Parts: sequence; structure tokens; C-alpha cells
Amino acid sequence: MAWIEFEGRRVRIEAGDTVASALFRHGVRTFTRSIKSHRRRGLTCLTGDCANCLVRVDDEPGMRSCITPARDGMRVEREGGVPSVERDLLAALDRLHPLLPVGFYSKTFIRPRLAWTVAERLIRGATGIGRLPTGVRPRISQVRHLHVEVLVIGAGVAGLSAALSASEGGRSVLLCDEGEPGWLVAPGPTIERICSLAEAVQRAASITTLWHHAAVGIYEGPLVPLAGPERLVHVHPERVVVATGALESLQTFRGNDLPGVWLGRGAARLAGRHGLSPGRRAVIVAETAEALEHLGALGSSGSKLVAVVASDEIPAPTAGARVIRGGAVMAALGRRGVRAVVIRTERGSERIACDTLVLSTRRFPRDALLRMAADLPPSGEAVVGAGEVVAPGCSLDEAEQSGALAGRGEAVPISEPPAPGLGAEGLVCPCEDVSVADLERAWEEGWRSSEILKRYTTATMGPCRGALCGWALAAFARARGADALASARTTARPPARPVRLEQLAAGVHEVVEKRTGLHHLHVSRGARVDWSGRWKRPFTYGDWRDEHRAVRERVSLMDVGTLGKFLIGGPDGRELLERVLPCRVESLEPGRCRYVVVLDEGGYVMDDGILCALGDGRAYLTSTSGGAERMEAWLRGWADRWGLRAHIVDRTSALGAINVAGPRARELLSRLTDDPVDASAFPYGAHRHLTVAGVPCRAIRVGFVGELSFELHHPRSRGFELWTALEQSGADLGVRPHGLDALDVLRLEKGHPYLGQDTLPDDHPDKLGLGWTVAMDKPWFVGRVALQRMRELPLERRLVGLELDGDASSLRGMPLALDGRVVGRVTSCALSPALGRSIGLGWLRAVDGGFPQVLRAGSAQARVVPTPFYDPEGVRVRA
Amino acid sequence: MLLIRCPWCGPRDEVEFRYGGQAGISYPSDPDALSDEEWADYLFMRDNPKGEFRERWVHAHGCRRWFNAVRSTVTHEIRATFPIGEEPPA
Repeated sequence: MAWIEFEGRRVRIEAGDTVASALFRHGVRTFTRSIKSHRRRGLTCLTGDCANCLVRVDDEPGMRSCITPARDGMRVEREGGVPSVERDLLAALDRLHPLLPVGFYSKTFIRPRLAWTVAERLIRGATGIGRLPTGVRPRISQVRHLHVEVLVIGAGVAGLSAALSASEGGRSVLLCDEGEPGWLVAPGPTIERICSLAEAVQRAASITTLWHHAAVGIYEGPLVPLAGPERLVHVHPERVVVATGALESLQTFRGNDLPGVWLGRGAARLAGRHGLSPGRRAVIVAETAEALEHLGALGSSGSKLVAVVASDEIPAPTAGARVIRGGAVMAALGRRGVRAVVIRTERGSERIACDTLVLSTRRFPRDALLRMAADLPPSGEAVVGAGEVVAPGCSLDEAEQSGALAGRGEAVPISEPPAPGLGAEGLVCPCEDVSVADLERAWEEGWRSSEILKRYTTATMGPCRGALCGWALAAFARARGADALASARTTARPPARPVRLEQLAAGVHEVVEKRTGLHHLHVSRGARVDWSGRWKRPFTYGDWRDEHRAVRERVSLMDVGTLGKFLIGGPDGRELLERVLPCRVESLEPGRCRYVVVLDEGGYVMDDGILCALGDGRAYLTSTSGGAERMEAWLRGWADRWGLRAHIVDRTSALGAINVAGPRARELLSRLTDDPVDASAFPYGAHRHLTVAGVPCRAIRVGFVGELSFELHHPRSRGFELWTALEQSGADLGVRPHGLDALDVLRLEKGHPYLGQDTLPDDHPDKLGLGWTVAMDKPWFVGRVALQRMRELPLERRLVGLELDGDASSLRGMPLALDGRVVGRVTSCALSPALGRSIGLGWLRAVDGGFPQVLRAGSAQARVVPTPFYDPEGVRVRA
Repeated sequence: MLLIRCPWCGPRDEVEFRYGGQAGISYPSDPDALSDEEWADYLFMRDNPKGEFRERWVHAHGCRRWFNAVRSTVTHEIRATFPIGEEPPA
């Protein structure tokens, strides 16, 4: 026996139950309260179209109970109402409706302005729209992309038939449905047809089916997002067949929203599928041939048919019910639900006692997707409708035929939707409690087109997004003589079906997180790991000052495996580098390395790195961690443009790198390698092959941190053993790792700018004090022409070293002011442990042809000083 | 999202590619002879047509090679993709 928990009680569920059918069996008739007037609302459509059955399921608000399968242990609550949906004190608002006219809020709360802020809280609190769960970690939805030739939306008769014919010849077809084939259909000839078509679809090899995925909208492309239970699927089809069917129209009469007023298919489904009778005494409005099926389903469920209000085309039903020809419903009466209906007959009006009113009325197309497509030329031309969505009221054969044509890409017969008038009373838009009287009043106030009526009355803007009432505004305007434009259907916009906020955000979280091979090692050493560009890197292992001291006084390790690493070879490899890099490449001897900046054609600094000349004519080039991808594409772009035979091999993820830095780095390294590492055999500016702790490494002697250092580039898979060997062997030397926090201060003490942080997109080397990296006597390199032109102009901006008063470590981003005028900005700053004073970098504009020397950064004085701040002669790095 | 046919790998999702701007901008034969305006024109100014546009793409998360494409800026339809140095099919 399975149960759901409903407002503290246990409600039994049976096989095939939805939340709605289980609650209905339990005796629940009022499912929701309307937003404004707090009128009772009960089950109506049972197809997931209207908003009358929204409940909270397992703390998720706004779930359509009629299409939510009931599962054992579910917690279900109704939403809204003070204190509850069943006993709602705010229902008094319904009697105040005449005092709360259309446009009430905008008319009443204009002045004073403060009044609205108070009123808004009260009004929003009173609406009864579901509470969002709080304190819950948001789920993260994934996005999946699918490319198909044909997408078919809706697995009814037309949709299944369209998928079958579209798949002829092996075309790839995706068939999706908000539920499953036939799940909303009452037993009868329709479901038999659906079953036989669905079996054929199952057998077709080139049809993929995606059940429980609702199309949310159609966008340029066409692109169709499908909202599924766990993820969002972006479908990129060449063609789309929309077979979303049609929905019976909610006629307008007084009380047309009372619990007990059903759309025909809904009542038939409750009776036929769940074996529940909608009520004891039913009156049915029969406008379509399908009404006879509904009649049959109702009869077999135990409802007594009191009267059939049938239009002339409908043959007389065989059941013993009284048939009223040419009648119309004037009103449904009752407070908690329907107690009686008033029918206008030829003899006048008649009151008939009943508790159920079934509207088997003419159907309106569920055409939001089609109308979206129509507004999207030229993508919209790839979107066609099939079945009832273009020919409401068509027969099963016609629907199947229509689907077959649409699937093959042929023209589909289209018939006009019915064009009934509105009644004199009742609700047009149940979601927003907009009545016919409200529309009339708005019309009188001069809002005389469907789009303006929509905005003024908010009709069609409720949770069902016009599913029930989308046709009514246009019909209303047309009946009052508005022209074609002013009586057009209002613009359809996504979402056509409900979509979760998490799904709107889907994909936003899908950031590729790059990790080096030593990530887990850092975590196990207590590192605070955070984003650095697309990488996750250690910022500190506890106390960055301690790490800083280890680099300056002892020896320290840093994982620099994030650097871009490229091997450049091929017959024209050196030629490529000579042409693209602003330094002399040819003169760089094997075994030597050089700091290089990379310029774009505008002469601006794109990136920097280290170039190592290898013995075999190849070169090894590193780039900044964030610039690796761009560097490679850029190199390949030039090689392609010039037709050079150069090989560029990206080694970024294949190699790890550990920087061993500090005055005792050599001592540590010599314990683990037999290769010579003394200053004469392996001087500054050189690179060597070293075998360290058995791991083959390319060691590079450069010094971003300004101490003796060896950058060990090694196979990524062996990083762990290399790191642990260095750690263990250096324990007595006080070795410890340092992270980005310490590095930021270490490099600042050396005056090295961080590209991107200290630089601007239009910084050429001279502005950064890096003019020495550029060999202007080379005849040509990328950026040379621009650089030459810019060198003829006075320097208008410069990156400078700064010395600041007091503790300036929080001054990054502070404007640099001269006599109250902003002339620059601090881009990096820190209280240097090595120097015992505050230092920084910042850019400065030229003032009257010169660069000022003394400035203010907030309350601190900033003096321009030469860099490097620390070890200006570079003795330590060359040790 | 676009489906882009890489000339070497075949049709792939747009996310695998990076955009590289207008294609077919040739380097001036004598850049020193250009005025500053002409040089700036070469460096910074790009066409922005309504209709077909020849542009560079790189298959950054695939073969990592550059190629050219002819794309309509109105419909996003990519009429052709072809290797650098070749002409698009008519």
C-alpha cells in the first residue's frame, strides 16, 4: 500500500495515480485559491494547461498536480490562503471585487510613493503564489545539446505520425513530449490509435524519443530548449513539427471557475483512467463529436447525466439524459463548488441542480510555439504545425494524415480556429481573476487593442501563460470592431510550458575547472584552493608570510604546472618564432633561455613567457597560465597565414612544473640529482636536462620571485613523486610550499607586473618598462611597425613603482591623484615583509609632458621609485 | 548554437570553436609607406556587412586548426568552410 502525506494526513494512492487524482479520491475539491479574489479553484483541465491545481510537492512550489505522478512518501501541501486554502479569510476579497477595479494598483498607489512599498508587501503576501524553498542548496541543472534533422514536439496522433514519416529514408528524428504517448488521453479510439503508432515509433531505428521533456520555446536557429526533470536539452533541429494539440475553451459565464466546472477531456480522463466520477449529477455542454466519448466515460464512472446541452451537429446521445438543443450556460451557481447551473433555452432560462458541469466545447489550438516561430523569420520557416494545433477539431484520420505530411515536409491543411464570442459574465483569465466586466471597463477607459488590454488587465499573464484565455482578448477586441492589428493574438513568448529557475540558469555553472596533477596533494597540505582564471590553484597553505619567508630565507616549492608549455619544431619552427617574437631568436644558443613578451600587431603586450632554445633546432616556449590557449591559436594563425612548416605541440597538460626557489634551492636539488647544478655548469638564464629523484626534468633557471630558482618541468604523471621527494629531502632545510598569495608579494618586490592585473589592453612594452625585451634592430616581427610608429609619439602612460606610507596593502584599485586630479591608479600593492614598507605598482598618465613623482593614493602619500624594490642588482637570482 | 563544419573534423558544436574575426585581410606590401590613418585602418577597421561575411575560426577544442568560413550575418547560415589560403566554393 502506498501513501502520500497530504497536509499532515495520509492519503492512499493507487497504481496510475497522479497527485491530483489521489487527492480528488480523498475528497479534496478546492486545490488552490485564485491570486486576487481568493476564489476556490478545483481540477479543470487535467492536461497541465491551467493553473488551478498547483500544489507544493516535497517543498517544491507550483507543481501541476494533474500531471505529477503520485509516489509513495511524497509530501503534498496546498499553497496560499489565510490560514489555509480550505478556510481562507481573504475570500472576502471576492465580494470586494467591484471595489478593486481593473488597474486598481496603478490607480491607487501612485502617491505617496512609500505607500506602494508597504502595499506591495501586503498584496504579494496575499496572492498565495507558492513560497520558494529557502535554506536549500540549489540544484544545478545540466545542459545537453542535440543536433537532429527533425524535431517533433508532442506525441499525440499527429506527432507520432509525423515522427514516423519524417524518419523515412533514415532521417534523424527526435520526438519529445511533456509526458508519454497517450498519458493524458481517456480510454477510447484515440488511445488505441496512439498505441499502435507508438509501437511503430518504437521500432523505427532513426527515431529517438525523449519523454517528460516539454518544449519551452522556439528561438532563432531554430533552437528549441526542452525542460526535462533533471536537465535542459537544447535541440538544434533543421526542421520542427509542432504537434501540441488543442485545448477545450473555457466558456465565459458567471461561476465558470467554480470547482466542479471541467473541461471535457479532463473529466473524461478522471473517469476513464482513474475510475473516479467527477460528481454525482453532471450537466455536459456538447459542442464536438468527441463529447459523446466524454459522455460515455462519465456514465460508466457512475455520474448521473442530468442534461446534455448539445449543439445541432451532435447526434442525440443514447443515454437517458435529457437533451437541450440550442441552449447555453448562463451561470454556474454555488459557493464551495457547483450546486446548479442556469441554462438558457428557447423557453427562457432554467435552473438545473447538479454538482458537475463538463465543457466538451470547441477546441483552441495550443499554438504558443507556432506563434513564437512565426515571429522568427527566417528560422521560423523551418517550423510547421500538424494535427489539432493547425486544424482544431480534426478527426483521428485527419490528424494522422496531417502529421504524415508535416513529417515529410509537405504542406499541411490548415483550418481556422473557432471564433466564438465571449459571454456577458464570468472570468476570462482565471489565473489573474480578470472578468469580462474588467475587459469592458478597460475598453471604456480607452485601452482598445488586444496587446494593450493584456498589459492593462494582466489577462493571459498568469501562471498558465494564456493557455486557457489566450484567444479571449483577441475575440473580445474583434467583437467590438477593432481592426485586424488591434484584434490580433498577443505575442507569444517563452516559456510555453513552466520551467524551473534552475533550468534557466542551466549551463551557467558549467565552467571547466582545470587542476594540475598536484591538486590533491595541495589539498592534503591544507591549501586554500580557489579560482585563478580557469584553474583552481593554491592561494596559501596557512600563513603567506611564513611562505614568503621560506622563499627569501630558505627554500620553497610552488606548483607552476598551469603555465602554458609548447614545443615548437618543424623545418620552419625557428623562422616562425623569429617572425612572431620581438626578441632575437637566432642568437639564442641551445641551453639558453630568455624572457620574451609577445606582441599583437598593434604592438600591445599580449602575453609573456620564457623561450628555451633546444639543441635540435626546436624551441620550448612557456606562456602565462591564462594565455596558453590564445598563445597556441595565435602561433598557428601566423604559421597558417605564412604557410610555414612549423609544428606546435601543446604540452600544457602533459607536463607539470614545480618551481624550487630560495637561497638553499641548489643545496636541495643537489641531494636529489647527480647532474651538475652549480653556478658554472648551470648558470642563470640557462636550462638543462636534470634527473631529479629519478624523474626526468627540464630545469629552467629564471627567477620570477627574485631568488635562486629552478623551474622543473616534468611528466605530469610523475609530479607527485617529485614533489614528495623534494619535500622529504628538504625537511631539514625548512622547505615548504608557497601559494599565489605569497607569490603576489614576492614578484611585486621584484617589480614584475602581472599581465592583465597591472597592465591595460593597449600597453606596449615601453609603457611597462619592458622596452629592453624588444629588438628594434630586427627587420621585422609582429608588432614592430606599430611599435615604431608609437615610439615617435611621447609616452602618455607608464607603469611605475610606488612607495606608499603606512600599511598600504588594501590600496589596490585606489586612484592616484595629483593636486586632487586623478592621473593614475594603483594596480598592485603590499606591505613588503622583505623591505618592511609598503610598495606597489600603478599606472600614471603624463602631466604636462612629464611624469609626476609624488602623488596621493587615498590618504596615503605615494612616491614614484625605480624597480625592482628588492635586490635591484639581481645578485640573488643569479646566485 | 551553430553547427560548424570543420574542414578537417566535420560538423561540430559551436562551443568547440573560437572566432577569429574577418578573414582575408592582407598585410600591406609596404607598411612604412602608409599614413597613420591607413595603418590604423589596416589594424583596427573591419567590415560589418549585413549578409555574407568571410571570417576566421579556429577549432580550439578539436584539431586546433584555423579555417575560413562564409557566414550570413542575417541568418547565421554558414555557406562554406574551407582551409586558409583557399577560395570558397562559388
